[in-house]
Amino acid sequence: MTRSTDDIIIKTVSRVLVPFIQLFALYVIMHGHSSPGGGFQGGVILGASFILLVITYGLDQTKRRMSEKADAIFSSVGLLIYAGIGALCLILGGNYLNYGELSKILPVGLAEARALGILGIEIGVGIAVMAVMFSIFLDVSTGGLPPSDNSEEGP
Amino acid sequence: MCVGTGLCFLGLLCLYRGIFGPTVLNRMAGISAIGTKTLVLLMVMGFIYNRVDMFVDISVVYALLNFVGSLAAAKYLEMRGEV
Repeated sequence: MTRSTDDIIIKTVSRVLVPFIQLFALYVIMHGHSSPGGGFQGGVILGASFILLVITYGLDQTKRRMSEKADAIFSSVGLLIYAGIGALCLILGGNYLNYGELSKILPVGLAEARALGILGIEIGVGIAVMAVMFSIFLDVSTGGLPPSDNSEEGP
Repeated sequence: MCVGTGLCFLGLLCLYRGIFGPTVLNRMAGISAIGTKTLVLLMVMGFIYNRVDMFVDISVVYALLNFVGSLAAAKYLEMRGEV
């Protein structure tokens, strides 16, 4: 599952398609409040683009773009953004995730602070979901082997 | 509405091929065709509800996941040596 394919059609199509998939994922995350989608859905699409890279170009070449260490860092950073914004609202005197309190430290009004808070939460959720999806796929497709044994995987 | 009903009927035909297909490749082709029909069905639903702008997003994501899914299934079958 994690070896590179030798089919030129699949390689070319996925090489052209992956940037557009990631752009569409960013669109879904950013427009989550006014159209279908949001942080989780955008994160899933972003993770699907990396899964497509692993399927077509193999694990070794994908790890040069997105190593397992970077993956773990991304999942932690996404969770930190989510919990950090919530805790910031708590520190500023409101309830947990009460975005209106962010207008005390941001130079914007109450409604705009709420919109920015929701956007920040969705970005955090998107990053975390992307990293966790990718790491689940890596663990399942390599059978949970340590990274050094991955290159000999397959029949 | 007529188009949607016809697409559902064609989807049932593809489902027959997906369930009783003689080989694995027939089943995969049937499932992919069902995915494509669902994509068009979503667009028809968008025209019925007059919300095409929203349903375009959903159908693009559906097409993308269908593509990645069929590719992953093909890779898995190649790895198992069944094709």
